Amino acid sequence: MPIVMPGRRPAKRFQDSKVIGGKMQHGRKSVNAELNVVPMVDMMTMLVIFLLMQFSATGEILYMQKDIKLPDAQHGQTIESAPVVAISASQIVVSGVKVAEVADVEKGEDFAIPGLEERLRDEKKRWDFIHQNDPDREKNWKGDVNIQADQKVPFRILKRVMYTAGQAGYFNVNFATLDQSNVAVAKAD
Amino acid sequence: MAGGGAPVPESGGRGGKKKRPLDAVINVVPAIDLLACTISFLLFTAVWTQISRLQVQTGGAGGPPAAEEKRQIQVTVTLGERGMMLTTSAGIAVEIPALGKSPDGQPVQDLKTLLQKLKQVKNEYPDQSSLTVAAEDGILYLDLVRVIDAAVGVGLPSVSVTAAG
Repeated sequence: MPIVMPGRRPAKRFQDSKVIGGKMQHGRKSVNAELNVVPMVDMMTMLVIFLLMQFSATGEILYMQKDIKLPDAQHGQTIESAPVVAISASQIVVSGVKVAEVADVEKGEDFAIPGLEERLRDEKKRWDFIHQNDPDREKNWKGDVNIQADQKVPFRILKRVMYTAGQAGYFNVNFATLDQSNVAVAKAD
Repeated sequence: MAGGGAPVPESGGRGGKKKRPLDAVINVVPAIDLLACTISFLLFTAVWTQISRLQVQTGGAGGPPAAEEKRQIQVTVTLGERGMMLTTSAGIAVEIPALGKSPDGQPVQDLKTLLQKLKQVKNEYPDQSSLTVAAEDGILYLDLVRVIDAAVGVGLPSVSVTAAG
């Protein structure tokens, strides 16, 4: 890629001409230079290839939260779009909306969590509305729900969340984990 | 392209006939523009944290058992404060005690031993694909996920989670 001094200069075909080519130089040293862009194009191509390999068509289904530290797993599957129940040490959140406090859930005598059940039933109603024209709607209903819980959440909270999800029609529970399958493969190599 | 290959001589041969120069300059600016746009798009849409899922069924909520499952046995891992207990309907009962306690008072489960025992069960019953994890109330999500991950890794992908006791 050439870098040329701004201003008038002879056309390329006249650059070698002794008659016209020299007229515009006015005896000064030329500042025109050729910039080698090959390494830059190489680098950009490699960057594009790397980013394409990282690219995920499903997008970000779960958003990492500061108060939720996910456990690692080596044999997880690709996460799919489904309602997300996020359980931190203090609260339970469904798709960004807080439905219950963990302390209240622990104190509560009822096994189901009313706020969570209501919210999940709303999600199911929304799914039913979207698929109202689908004749195989009942068959296509998979009942998937993603549970994004902190490592330190005890099972007594989890089982109530799972029970409530089941009550709302979500019986296929997916535990969200950090994918370490690449790390496992690298260690095996 | 600037800085590309060596120039081709403008004239050659003995004929003395001047040939047309074969040197050419390829304009790489559009290619660089395209690459820059692609990189920007990919950087904006990149997902840096890879999150996976471990699918489980809640206790007793799975579909009707398939005909093939009749040949399978019932494998249960009971996860408790003192350790784990692997039991099967074929009569195997193995206790895997916890290795100790972590600084925060939680039991450290012996996952290596569990992995070995699950491999033995899988070798003995190659058709086996289901496992039930029964956890006590105090068990952490971390330990539950580790046990499920071990089971899936061994080749028992149909994991059901239920409460112990």
